[in-house]
Amino acid sequence: MPIVRLVADRILLSVLTLLIVSLIVFAMLEVLPGDVASRILGRDATPEALELLRAKLGLNEPAPLRYLHWLGGLLSGDFGQSLVSSRAVTEILAPRIYNTVLLSAYAFLLYLPLTILPALIQAIRRDRPVDHGLSIITLVLLSMPDFLLATILLFTFVVLVPILPAISLVDHSSSAVDYLRAMTLPALTLAIVMAVYAVRMLRDNLIEVLDSDYVRMAELKGLSARRVLLRHALPNALVPTLNVTALNLAYLVGGVVVVEKVFSYPGFGSLLVDSLQLRDLPVIETTVMIAALVYVGANLIADIAAVLLNPRLRAA
Amino acid sequence: MTGAAQLLEVQNLSVAYRQGSGWSRAVDDVSFSLRAGEVFGLVGESGCGKSTIALQLLGYRHLSMRVEHGDVLFKGQSLTSMSRGELDTLRGDRIAFVPQNPTTALNPGIRIGRQVAETMLAHGRIQSLESTAAISGILKLVRLPADPVFQRRYPHQLSGGQQQRVCIAMALACDPDLLVLDEPTTGLDVTTQEQIISLLSELRGRIGVAMLYVTHDLALLSQIADRIGVMYAGRMVEIAPTDEIFLRPRHPYTQGLIASIPVIGEPSASRSRPLRGLLRRRELPSGCPFAPRCDHALDRCATERQELQSIDDNRAVACWRWREIAPIAATPNSATMAGAIAHRASVLSVDHVSVVYGPRSRGFRAVSDVSFDIKEGEVFALVGESGSGKSTLARAISGLTAPSTGTVRLRGEELAGAVRDRSDQQRRLIQYIFQNPDASLNPRARIGEAIARPLVHFFKMDGAKARATVVGALDDVRLDGSYQERFPDQLSGGERQRVAIARALAAKPALLLCDEILSALDVSVQANILTLLQQLKSEHAIAMLFISHDLAVVRFLADHVCVLYGGEVMEIGPREQVFAPPFHPYTHSLLHAVPVPLQRPDRPSKASKAAEPKRSGAGCVYAGRCPWQIGSICETERPPWREGRGGLGLRCHLTLEQLNARADWPPPKQEGIAV
Amino acid sequence: MSVGQATTQTPRRYHLLWGQTPQSFRIGLVILLVHLIVAITGPFWAPYGFSQMGAGIPLSGMSWAHPFGIDQLGRDVFSRVVHGSHIVILLSLSGTAIGLLVGAVLGLLSGYLGGWFDNLLQRLLEALISIPFLVLALIAIASAGPELSGNPILVVLVVALVYAPRIARIARAAAMDIATRDYVTVARLRGESAWSVMRRELLPNATGVLLVEFALRAGYAPVLVGSLGFLGFGLRPPTPEWGLMISENRALIIITPITVLGPGLALASLVVGLNLFTEGLARILGRTVRLGTQ
Repeated sequence: MPIVRLVADRILLSVLTLLIVSLIVFAMLEVLPGDVASRILGRDATPEALELLRAKLGLNEPAPLRYLHWLGGLLSGDFGQSLVSSRAVTEILAPRIYNTVLLSAYAFLLYLPLTILPALIQAIRRDRPVDHGLSIITLVLLSMPDFLLATILLFTFVVLVPILPAISLVDHSSSAVDYLRAMTLPALTLAIVMAVYAVRMLRDNLIEVLDSDYVRMAELKGLSARRVLLRHALPNALVPTLNVTALNLAYLVGGVVVVEKVFSYPGFGSLLVDSLQLRDLPVIETTVMIAALVYVGANLIADIAAVLLNPRLRAA
Repeated sequence: MTGAAQLLEVQNLSVAYRQGSGWSRAVDDVSFSLRAGEVFGLVGESGCGKSTIALQLLGYRHLSMRVEHGDVLFKGQSLTSMSRGELDTLRGDRIAFVPQNPTTALNPGIRIGRQVAETMLAHGRIQSLESTAAISGILKLVRLPADPVFQRRYPHQLSGGQQQRVCIAMALACDPDLLVLDEPTTGLDVTTQEQIISLLSELRGRIGVAMLYVTHDLALLSQIADRIGVMYAGRMVEIAPTDEIFLRPRHPYTQGLIASIPVIGEPSASRSRPLRGLLRRRELPSGCPFAPRCDHALDRCATERQELQSIDDNRAVACWRWREIAPIAATPNSATMAGAIAHRASVLSVDHVSVVYGPRSRGFRAVSDVSFDIKEGEVFALVGESGSGKSTLARAISGLTAPSTGTVRLRGEELAGAVRDRSDQQRRLIQYIFQNPDASLNPRARIGEAIARPLVHFFKMDGAKARATVVGALDDVRLDGSYQERFPDQLSGGERQRVAIARALAAKPALLLCDEILSALDVSVQANILTLLQQLKSEHAIAMLFISHDLAVVRFLADHVCVLYGGEVMEIGPREQVFAPPFHPYTHSLLHAVPVPLQRPDRPSKASKAAEPKRSGAGCVYAGRCPWQIGSICETERPPWREGRGGLGLRCHLTLEQLNARADWPPPKQEGIAV
Repeated sequence: MSVGQATTQTPRRYHLLWGQTPQSFRIGLVILLVHLIVAITGPFWAPYGFSQMGAGIPLSGMSWAHPFGIDQLGRDVFSRVVHGSHIVILLSLSGTAIGLLVGAVLGLLSGYLGGWFDNLLQRLLEALISIPFLVLALIAIASAGPELSGNPILVVLVVALVYAPRIARIARAAAMDIATRDYVTVARLRGESAWSVMRRELLPNATGVLLVEFALRAGYAPVLVGSLGFLGFGLRPPTPEWGLMISENRALIIITPITVLGPGLALASLVVGLNLFTEGLARILGRTVRLGTQ
């Protein structure tokens, strides 16, 4: 069956890509910098402390061997220990990932209506004032860096109209309501950033589809405007947007870094920034690999979805 | 044109398209009318506005166009002032549209049965989308399989001809009064085209639907239209019954258009002069738009707007000089030196060449065991439809695709399979000209530079000498030397193709590989290029491998013809032998499928289910589609090669005598065509 | 003929009359010119120095003398924004330019030549692109070590590193698309060398795509640079880099929001200008473009 073949191919390619990513990450963090130990401990560390660290991290082994050890560790779930807190990396990572997943889900829920509604309005009222107005708004929002947007939102909803908390510190003792209140601003920020990009794409796709031969044919068959839009135009316009949505999900992985920092939300992104500042190598390496994994995974899902939705391949 | 209630009336319609910040008129003050049950043909070349008019007959609106004045009345009601709701009731039900490109007009994600059912449901003919019985009825009407399995197919699973039938089915589903067809057969093979035309004729006879048939192919219209309207640059220049258009055309443009049609039955009869010059939109005079190209134009023509005036009960012309105009005879072309060719040396020799994609034993056989010989200075035509392997063969000869087996020899020397393994000399001697003039010139390079490249590469010419040679090359293709400063997008399609020819000639090749070089051009431009090729043939004595699907053109130009089907040679021989009995069954159906002006198809189309040619290697590749198939022997045994008089050869189980007996082409002449 | 279908033919000449350019292009260009003028001339007419303290009462808000207020160290924010304007522009443009150079060359070669080189490069590019923008930038900075932190050249190289793979991918796609055109086949049939084909047929026709890519990436580069500054991985204080300033003044937002909104406005307007310019440029060149982070 050709579909199974295609899907299997994609999965294999993704695995290969991740392998190369791991090579790159390892090379950048452990090989290039030269002496990792003095990096971590600083310039005024004693030679004994340096030796201890080297032995502990296994830095005396040749690089390829270290890489294989590390890779083996990754694949078997042993991510090592944090250099800062000596806790297992998994222990530190788990709650953070949980928080970020929640945040992402919330952001995604907000993102959907924020994308589809404006795009529909723009496509139907093409070239009218509404269309131009929305285009300008999306352009301005698009041009704003996410940290700026986050800061402005924070100012608006915490200072001007104080309905939400300034800091989104939550932990397992917080209630669901607390969580929701804490997540709203960061989720909104993420949702807006993703939406403005997708709205433009969906609008363009919708217009392209609305101008296509088969939509014109549907109209010439005497079908009502509503049926033409909902049954012929929208489904075909959504398919490429699916690709964008997957990319947006992938953007989340990078976007959370800044947004979580702004709101002090204890998630995956802020962990990455903190561990970078503290030079906590094992944590850095693991988080980066997970980030890449999510990105590759999201792309893979988008690819497979595109294949499945393409009637040429489905009914071959 | 006068008289009892007209089904459709177009009154002084003008439509404009948005161009940059302004509007440009595509249809200018056009009027005509249609009676119930009548077939009206709208003909003209690209950009004349015919498709725009077709869309207006359905009241189509879009942001990029507007009706500037005039109206379209259907049964007395104005379409231009109807609301969307009123139009929705009319479209698909009373007036239906058959599109130019069925592949893009069908929604790729919806099954075809549903797409047909949709129309019927929208107009209340059925109650649910699952009424497979009602849909079957419609599909049977257009000679498509009516079973539910077929209805569940997606458009991409159907052939081009089948897709078009689905579109026709959608159009007929609610038994409309008027069918508007916008170039429905452009892009389909000539045999498929023949089937669609005969289907339309039959339907028209059976259900009496009126039709507006838009096309650029005049010969085709003569098979089906009652009256024809000729358009030029957005204006209607002549309206007349079909016979009259061909026998006594009054407008100079109509005369030129008819003269441009290569008529397959008369290879070297003297005809009227084809159209000269081109349509230059930006330089149209305020009066008659055709004046710059008209042989009969006087000063008054450029400033005085010509309106359609009735000259008869059924005729109208937009030319004040119609009484005085008689077509100017063309200079008869020089007789081909057929006899001398046979004794010349061979320039290209193709020897048992096959091209197989994939594993040798069970891959796709694009070209199978093809052999032929082209002599110096000869025009060798390779005829076939899509999928026949002619392009693949061209690629094998030029070195873009290596043949899987067999050899290609250039003046006796064996050529390497890949072009990079060949010598410079070998590469110079074969020059390739492509089908699409838009794609074969580098848009960022000036014409002069494009033509100079082969001069620099092969002859190491320097600046001044190259420039002079370029001017000479442009002259050879009848283009002015000033063209060398221009960029390709400043030229028309025909001019670009000439440049491509000039570039090929600049290398002083022994063989020109012309791969469907006329197919992308308007018919009047085709005629001009054909004349050019004729002249080049006599002036330069270059051999040509001329690939085409158009038999009329082939008859005009070729010395030797080879007919391909499914990658195999069906028939091969000198031109006159191939165009005379005995015919291979495939050649025969090809010839019959070519529309000849005023010759109605005298028998129903015989070709069958559009099956893919069998390439299994067993039996005849044409079996399953052949109208003269004997029986199972055609499926199992490879037909023998038979040789006839004068160098003719063909591959068939039937003997030459049997083939001779069955031949009935050319059909007896009905009336002479105006010259 | 589908109604409303635009032809995307590569135009052969780029000199157009000013009046014919699309509105977005004009507005974008004007905004960019303003930024450019401020960047070049700013240090000469800014009322205060970028690290000059005592310009006024700390944490005071907007006023005619101090349009963007005073920060907690007593510095005039407006002057700092003006002084910092050339930093952002320089870093963004040079980083993107280097990324374009490296990416375009690799991508075009890879797309045209194909074969093992292409395959290898594809895998490498795929992997680099799989690491999210910011994450890649951050680990690149981390791997450079503490001695180089705060070095503007590091920031430039990091921007180039992040952009080169993405540009290479586009260049590769363009090369592959052009390579199938008939006029390239004509050149190959003539036996022209690969280098000659690349130079004459490929490159001139790919410039449109590459130009738009450059503008697109250059438009996002200030955001990337700003993000790095905001997180503290870019330039060091007291450099008046806008992202850094936004981060520094964030805590004061309750008291004087203008100290954050000022540099924010500057940054956003620069990106708006670049985006409009890109869109207009794409329209002129007959292409469509996707503005945004990807």
